Amino acid sequence: MAEATTFVNATQMLEPFKGVKKVTIEEYFSSGHRTCQGCESALVMKLMVKAAGPRTIVLGSTGCMYVANTTYYSTPWVVPWMHTQLGSSGSAALGTAAGLKALMKKGKMKAEPINVIAFCGDGGGADMGLGAISATLTHKEYNSLILLYDNESYANTDIQLSGMTPYGAHTTFSPPGSVKRIIHTRWKKNMAGMLAAGHSECRYVATVCASYAVEMMNKVRKALSIGGPTFIHSLDPCPKGWDYDPMLSHELGELAIETGIFPLYEVEDGVVKYYGKTKAIVDGRPRKPVREYLLKQGRFAHFIEEDLAYFQAKVDVMWEKWEIPGVVSFRKDSKQTT
Amino acid sequence: MAHLVCEVVYRGIFQKNLAARITRGIVLSARKSGRWGIAFGRYGDSPQRNGVPAKDFAIVADSKEELEQHMARYEPKELHVTICVDDTLCKGVESWAWYGLQPINRLILPDGHLLVTTTQSADDLLTDIHKKDAPYHIWLLQGKASFAGLWVYKEDHTEVRLLGALAKIAPQFLTIEGVAEAIREAEWGSDLKVESARKAYERIQSRLVKITEGNPETPYSFELPRWWEMREGVTIPALPIGKPIEGGKGYRPERSPVFKKFSTRTMRPVIDFDTCVKCTLCWLQCPDSCFDVTPEGLYDANMESCCGCGICEAVCPVHNCITMVNESAFEDNASQWEMWRRDKDAYKVWLAEKIRDKVTTARSHGFRYRGQYEEELNLGELELGGAALASGIPGENAKQKGLISGVHEDKSTSIVTGVAEAPGG
Amino acid sequence: MAVETKTRAPEVLEEKEMLISGSEAIAEALTLADIDVVTAYPIRPYDTVMQAIAKKIANGKLVAEYIVAEGEHSQFEIVKHASTVGARVFCGSSGVGWMYAMEAITVTPALRVPMVAMVGNRALDDPGAFGVEHNDALSVRDLGWLLCWIDSSQEAMDTTLIAYRVAEDRRIFLPIAISCDGAFLTHSQAITRVPPKEWVDKFLPPYNRGDLLLHPDNPITVAPQVNEDWVIEIRRQNNAATERAYTVIPEAYAEFQKIFGRGTENPWFEEYMTEDAEIILMGMGTLSLPVKVAIRKMREDGKKVGLIRLRWFRPFPYTQLAKALRKAKAIGVIDRDYSFGSPFGSGVVATEVRAALYNADHRPPLIGFICGLGGREVTLEDVYKVTEICYTAAEAGRAEKATYWLGVRE
Repeated sequence: MAEATTFVNATQMLEPFKGVKKVTIEEYFSSGHRTCQGCESALVMKLMVKAAGPRTIVLGSTGCMYVANTTYYSTPWVVPWMHTQLGSSGSAALGTAAGLKALMKKGKMKAEPINVIAFCGDGGGADMGLGAISATLTHKEYNSLILLYDNESYANTDIQLSGMTPYGAHTTFSPPGSVKRIIHTRWKKNMAGMLAAGHSECRYVATVCASYAVEMMNKVRKALSIGGPTFIHSLDPCPKGWDYDPMLSHELGELAIETGIFPLYEVEDGVVKYYGKTKAIVDGRPRKPVREYLLKQGRFAHFIEEDLAYFQAKVDVMWEKWEIPGVVSFRKDSKQTT
Repeated sequence: MAHLVCEVVYRGIFQKNLAARITRGIVLSARKSGRWGIAFGRYGDSPQRNGVPAKDFAIVADSKEELEQHMARYEPKELHVTICVDDTLCKGVESWAWYGLQPINRLILPDGHLLVTTTQSADDLLTDIHKKDAPYHIWLLQGKASFAGLWVYKEDHTEVRLLGALAKIAPQFLTIEGVAEAIREAEWGSDLKVESARKAYERIQSRLVKITEGNPETPYSFELPRWWEMREGVTIPALPIGKPIEGGKGYRPERSPVFKKFSTRTMRPVIDFDTCVKCTLCWLQCPDSCFDVTPEGLYDANMESCCGCGICEAVCPVHNCITMVNESAFEDNASQWEMWRRDKDAYKVWLAEKIRDKVTTARSHGFRYRGQYEEELNLGELELGGAALASGIPGENAKQKGLISGVHEDKSTSIVTGVAEAPGG
Repeated sequence: MAVETKTRAPEVLEEKEMLISGSEAIAEALTLADIDVVTAYPIRPYDTVMQAIAKKIANGKLVAEYIVAEGEHSQFEIVKHASTVGARVFCGSSGVGWMYAMEAITVTPALRVPMVAMVGNRALDDPGAFGVEHNDALSVRDLGWLLCWIDSSQEAMDTTLIAYRVAEDRRIFLPIAISCDGAFLTHSQAITRVPPKEWVDKFLPPYNRGDLLLHPDNPITVAPQVNEDWVIEIRRQNNAATERAYTVIPEAYAEFQKIFGRGTENPWFEEYMTEDAEIILMGMGTLSLPVKVAIRKMREDGKKVGLIRLRWFRPFPYTQLAKALRKAKAIGVIDRDYSFGSPFGSGVVATEVRAALYNADHRPPLIGFICGLGGREVTLEDVYKVTEICYTAAEAGRAEKATYWLGVRE
């Protein structure tokens, strides 16, 4: 069949919401999911598709947002949703987008911009599926958004550490014991910075937190509108894995940003832009001490002063030493302080 | 009885470690009188979710052969004792979709036992507990529900008190001396705990529940479709899109008809529609999409869907506009907005009565700051689960709402290690 | 001046001949089938098909999205997802590449995705060898893939077209793996007849995913998390679909014969000189060639030997096979695969044929021969040895040993 020469691989033009009162009222992810009380990742799902709208296909890789959300023969999704494998968010996004493009190009399907969003947890995305995500971000001819919801553990299997688990956190693979207090000595991988730095064909990478819901939704809209493959990293406080009263979910999200532990930014066509309280930090506002955030969570209840100091020092370096603060760990000064 | 089958019905994650201690404690106590036993979690509940009802089981028998009848089983079909460690579970339990609402006493054999930790009276509980077609005994252990989380445990002696009570309920299997010995040998055991167990053993009393007593409502259930009725490709239809409520205004999303989630909550939000400033934050930040947008732009939490996380109260900027209230204070899932619409004055009275005890309303939700559990237990009566602290209640608007928030002086001195003994994954 | 009347000669559609390998033949079929999305990843010997497809696309003969994945797992996941939105897809691998994709391969039939994949059969490494062994494709035999083995470029071409027709039939919606012996088929060029597009368009309807299509106009949730209340019902559905293949496959072959004017009556296996055969040899793939040569030689010596070359391994044609074998005095199954620790240590095909005959009225001695592993040739001597052993068993009425390893340096 001849290639239809009039095909344009368009994206939807989704305008940013100008404030909470302008947020669309429709829900494309509704009630009836078996998530924990206070699950911020579920909130991310809701906001993600609220921003994307009805002409959307969502691919969900294995994890809490698959197992907890969709209990067979029921579903909370209003838009089409399909499960994909743990390490497959990248390939699911790519395959879905490529399939749609092929059919529209060849006139086998009505051409219209359909959002393709694939989500992964930190386990499925930063560990197992990193290769596939990286590959997808090199394919500028396919439009998709990969959203990594980061609850800082393999939460669905009852909390095991992943490459995104913070230093020293208590998980079932890193329990503090009488001989070893800290089993998990690794520092969290910098997904957004790494992917932005390494994939020049990817036009949009951003970090978000559902505590700042309108900003998060607007970044999702931008990612879906800009064209090509895009990536968003969302930090999701998790009452189960982090051990805290579910009411605290919103506040903990804010504290993560106010302490500088999680920076809010976007990289659009290579240009870094800071958001909200992160921008204030870059402009000189003092960061809240990390202990204010860490000691509100049972997973750090075993920390002693030494651990808190180490954690604080690592975060200090992000803002005091990095060439592009909070984003990427390159520095001019070769003397290591941490 | 040559074998004793017990279940612990509990709030997932919050009481996971508690349930593990109880079921293991049952087996280890019975071992002291020469019995064999197994303890296991209900596999389908795993992975557990905060608040979603779950079950653990302990089965003890005189001989290994008898024990085998109960092994490699998913869930016992009937049992002798149901231990309910949060009295709001007495309203019924829905653990996953298509499961229906299961009465708390469903599996209990005739003349069996229901042991509940509660501060309510039996009569109050029996307005929630569904009627059963056979009589059974109800035993009440006074005290708040013991809530913690995965990594930090609340040592409020609930597990040992329940073990002590069980020695009264099933003395043929658990002697109080056996219980005392097992507690002493446990990693978490102590002489003080043995004392608590004995006290519970001495004080616990029962009452017979007749077949005429209980909540007369028929709990909802579903018939599972047959293999050829199910669409192929592991595929099901999506939820339909929501609709306006009245006159083209407002919005009510379609919600899953087969998974309601209200049995997950221990508290529900009570809303003052008169003081609402329509900031949209409760609606926006609810992870469960519970809020309907009313035609006048207010927000009504759907009580079939609300799982009681409390985020709405945390983000609401107006003092007393949204207040989380203990679920036992309510009889049904009626819409508050409908109530308010019908009679605003009556609603105001109803609201005031519900939130009156707000500051001391049991915040049965777990960890807020290091040292909190110790503080609660020091400030209150151990036997009742300690004091209910309002501090640490979060929200960026906490201060303006007159709530204590902020950083707590770290009072704990111990290095906390997690309780890594929960069965069932 | 006479008026010139231009008359256009009626278009005579006919097949054209090409000198192509099995891989290239498949690429021709894919072009005719107008596939939409294909994913490639290099591993020998299957990837010659992907090289051929790349050329087709570059030269404008085929319009399709051609994606080079970063690993076989992603390779198979990408096309699986493309299929759910309605794209006709193709994929393939060999040996451990196929194993690397195993998670994706496992869920593809469960999701009722009609992928057509080529397996360039190759030994699983370690020990690393590129030569032919059948264990790669066989490893998925329980999972719901339909599996077939071919032995010529022509069969590669034809079977690919038939595979799309069967796989995309709504009664089936299962993936099909077409196994091609590495080197002997993938890299060996033979005269092959390629049909005109018009015939293919008549034979192959467009892929219509119906109510399972993932698209905003058909809102569905595909594959939510399932618990023990539902799994066996879902598996039952897959079982029913696999059983329907016993009907759909012969239908497709019959239609093929009608439209293309050639083909085979019996889709399940090729019978070569079996009508009066005392000894029937069995096998899959290109070992058929030395076996046929050997049979002709043995026939000259008066030995009545025949060959059943199994084409479809899944669904296994047990009824038809039991019928075809009922007059044999002994059966020799040559397995180009191994199954360590199996009953009698037999290879996979021997074990399955034995099972197919368990309830038969007449159960001749059945002997398995493990041969030709890792690309080693199956020689005429091997076949003579097989036949000799079978004759001994036929005369004795029983086999002395159930399994032999042939050609091993002892």
